[in-house]
Amino acid sequence: MMSPNTTQQPLTLTLGHLYPDQLNLYGDRGNILTLRRRCQLRGIELRVVGLGVGDALAPDEYDMLFIGGGQDKEQAPVADDLHEMKGIGLWAAIEDDMPVLAVCGGYQLLAHYYRPAEGPDMRGLGVFDAWTEHKGTKVPRCIGNVAISWNGQTLVGFENHGGRTYLGTAKPLGKVLKGNGNNAEDQTEGAIYRHAYGTYLHGSLLPKNPHFADHLIELALQRKYGDRAITENDLFNGNHTNKAAEIGATVLELQKTTVSPLLTPLEDSLEWEAHASMLERLGLYSEAATILRTHKS
Amino acid sequence: MRNEQPSQPLSPEIDQSPPDSTLEPAPLPAADEEMTRKPQPKRQQHTMRAGLAVMAGRTAGAISRRLHLGGGTSIVGVVAQRVYPDIIEHLATELEHGSLMVTGTNGKTTTSSFIAAILRDDGLRVWRNREGSNLVGGVASSLVIRAQPNGHLRRAGKAISILEVDEAALPKLVDAIPPRVIVFTNLFRDQLDRYGEVDSIVTKWKQAIAQLPDTTTLVLNADDPTIAQLGDSFAGRVLYYGIDDLSLKDDPAEQEAERHQVLDVRTCSNCGSDYEYSKRFYSHMGHYHCPNCGKQRPTPDVRVTHVQMDTFDRIRIQIESADEQREIVVPLPGLYNIYNALAATSVSRALGIGWEPIISGIEQSKPVFGRGERIQADGKTMRLLLAKNPTGFNEVLRTLFSDGISRHILFVLNDNIADGQDISWIWDVDFERVPGQTETLVISGTRALDLALRLKYAGVAEKNMSIIPTARLKAHRNTETPRQKRLKKKREIKEQLAEMPGSQERQYGIKIALDSALQQTPVGETLFVVPTYTGLLEVHRELEQRGFTPHYWEGRDA
Repeated sequence: MMSPNTTQQPLTLTLGHLYPDQLNLYGDRGNILTLRRRCQLRGIELRVVGLGVGDALAPDEYDMLFIGGGQDKEQAPVADDLHEMKGIGLWAAIEDDMPVLAVCGGYQLLAHYYRPAEGPDMRGLGVFDAWTEHKGTKVPRCIGNVAISWNGQTLVGFENHGGRTYLGTAKPLGKVLKGNGNNAEDQTEGAIYRHAYGTYLHGSLLPKNPHFADHLIELALQRKYGDRAITENDLFNGNHTNKAAEIGATVLELQKTTVSPLLTPLEDSLEWEAHASMLERLGLYSEAATILRTHKS
Repeated sequence: MRNEQPSQPLSPEIDQSPPDSTLEPAPLPAADEEMTRKPQPKRQQHTMRAGLAVMAGRTAGAISRRLHLGGGTSIVGVVAQRVYPDIIEHLATELEHGSLMVTGTNGKTTTSSFIAAILRDDGLRVWRNREGSNLVGGVASSLVIRAQPNGHLRRAGKAISILEVDEAALPKLVDAIPPRVIVFTNLFRDQLDRYGEVDSIVTKWKQAIAQLPDTTTLVLNADDPTIAQLGDSFAGRVLYYGIDDLSLKDDPAEQEAERHQVLDVRTCSNCGSDYEYSKRFYSHMGHYHCPNCGKQRPTPDVRVTHVQMDTFDRIRIQIESADEQREIVVPLPGLYNIYNALAATSVSRALGIGWEPIISGIEQSKPVFGRGERIQADGKTMRLLLAKNPTGFNEVLRTLFSDGISRHILFVLNDNIADGQDISWIWDVDFERVPGQTETLVISGTRALDLALRLKYAGVAEKNMSIIPTARLKAHRNTETPRQKRLKKKREIKEQLAEMPGSQERQYGIKIALDSALQQTPVGETLFVVPTYTGLLEVHRELEQRGFTPHYWEGRDA
């Protein structure tokens, strides 16, 4: 559990969960549970702090941020609070390369604005150079299973959004393989700015996409313990296997190329099987086969 | 309303020759459909048209059943409606005692079955739409299968219908059949991909209520803030029900679990401030008030003052209405079934029914299709507990795992259209209750892997779950590349690996899942099956084939 090297302190990360009471529509809890467990198995303590309406966001106190999706009724007061109470802190955090995951409604709130079918625009923070429009109730919602390519790998999830998001200069998170993505027109899905990721994928997103969860954890670790991580490359791969064994999980000794080099690989065959199963439902058979070949012993 | 009187005089001249247009065989062209939609044409024309619709619908139903396309319950109504769009309206007006409606996210079926038992004990002939066919088509079916080819209902005297109505189908149906009483049980998030957001259901319901005549009585759950507010602007009679027993335990584990729970309602419908709860039974059900504008839970007219659990599925409740108190033993497990009994009691009180049939009706009613249903199989007992949304699932888990007894469990998670294709909600369910509480655990369904993953993250070790998904991945069959296929040796290594813990060879299909779960359950013990809706149908079909349970369309209501 303890790092074998210079430090006597266990690694800790603090996750700021924005609006856990308002923006929790689509199993967002699964993302938090996944981050927590994947940290825990590696001997990293993940503290989760809820940030509700009225709470200020002090960027120094957190190592990563998560913001989920909500119903329209709940999203409006949250949009105001995001501007008034958390905007500056959030901007500072993002400019300082803090990893941020924003799903669905949270993603829309981090773009410039959300224009509903009727009524005034809901302003966003403008972290992503993108905007969202609702084309009215006659235009069908984007609902269904979805797969995208990200970083040469696949991400799977479920999307359910009425708004169509269009990217300005923002870089998309990935390219849609099956499903609608940002707007069902240009094959883009999500947006990236520095280490902030916006996406419509829930399902929950992280449990079935362990590589993406680890990517976020790794970014947070690098940001917090960056120098040490580089100079003492084995820091994060210390004797955490013991910790994992205590919890009852199997940690593979074998390093896998697709897994982040900084984090101990975990026994993820169930995760990948679920991932592959979703790819197959979407008709992506060769991608599914690749996943199983790469991730099954 | 239609109470106490045959609403329309039945036409004596059925043999009178009808106008030409209605002699055409079904389905009729669209022009005719337009014509018969117009208000106030002659009734016998309609009766002919209804007769055709009845025959067409029933033929379609018979064919569907013969071809095993399902229970054939919905298709009857769908076809009949194609032939005669106003068939529901036409037939429903012939019921001597009118119609009751039951809607809400959870508890519709059990509540209606309690009401049905009560009304039967009161001497009425009860008609229901059965087995979840609660969309408009299913309601039409329930009437059509009881109609004659002459376009009239069979034995409409002393008849009352209890219609279980899908949340979203409500506005359409109240328009066709204004009910005498309508009960709203609760509102939780359910199938967001199908219904849209929870708020859009509230909007639909408000529309429906605005269409109601003020002779209708609304029966509302006072403990659910969204339901209670529906009475705010209604001109007719409103009856509230709720639980007043403040001694209901909140054991520490539950408080712990409650903290994770996602709430669908937290803000006041008047002013948008957060409600405060002085007592919370589960999810957003409880005693709430708004600290800002003072809006609070209405005082219930029918209330449970004391709850005592005798055994797993014998709950003794003291129920009070208009200063009269009675004891009722609810023969089903779980707090949610107390609400169902309470809803049924309130509806009966609204209809002016005495206590005797209420008590006997509830106490002697048998669990219905998948709602606590008990099936004996090879010396083992199976209990089917449908769980189709987070709140329902949470309540089932709480019921199963609150008394420290280890259970034998089969979970079936499907994502077919009727279940909702988005299964994100499993991450909002407190599966953290499960680890260490299962004797054996089998997981099946089209999304078995997702559920297994959820349980893994809840802390259930993989070796303690048997994962038996509905179908094998194609990729599993084809994982061997052509090169691997040539190299037999490599294959052998693969087989060895497959025997490693955690990656043992999977089995597939609901049949094997059920076999495995039953095999692992010792004789004399109970296997709890917790399926989503289509999972329940599959389990039932499987049990039917083994002769353990009757075909579900051969119910006793017909």
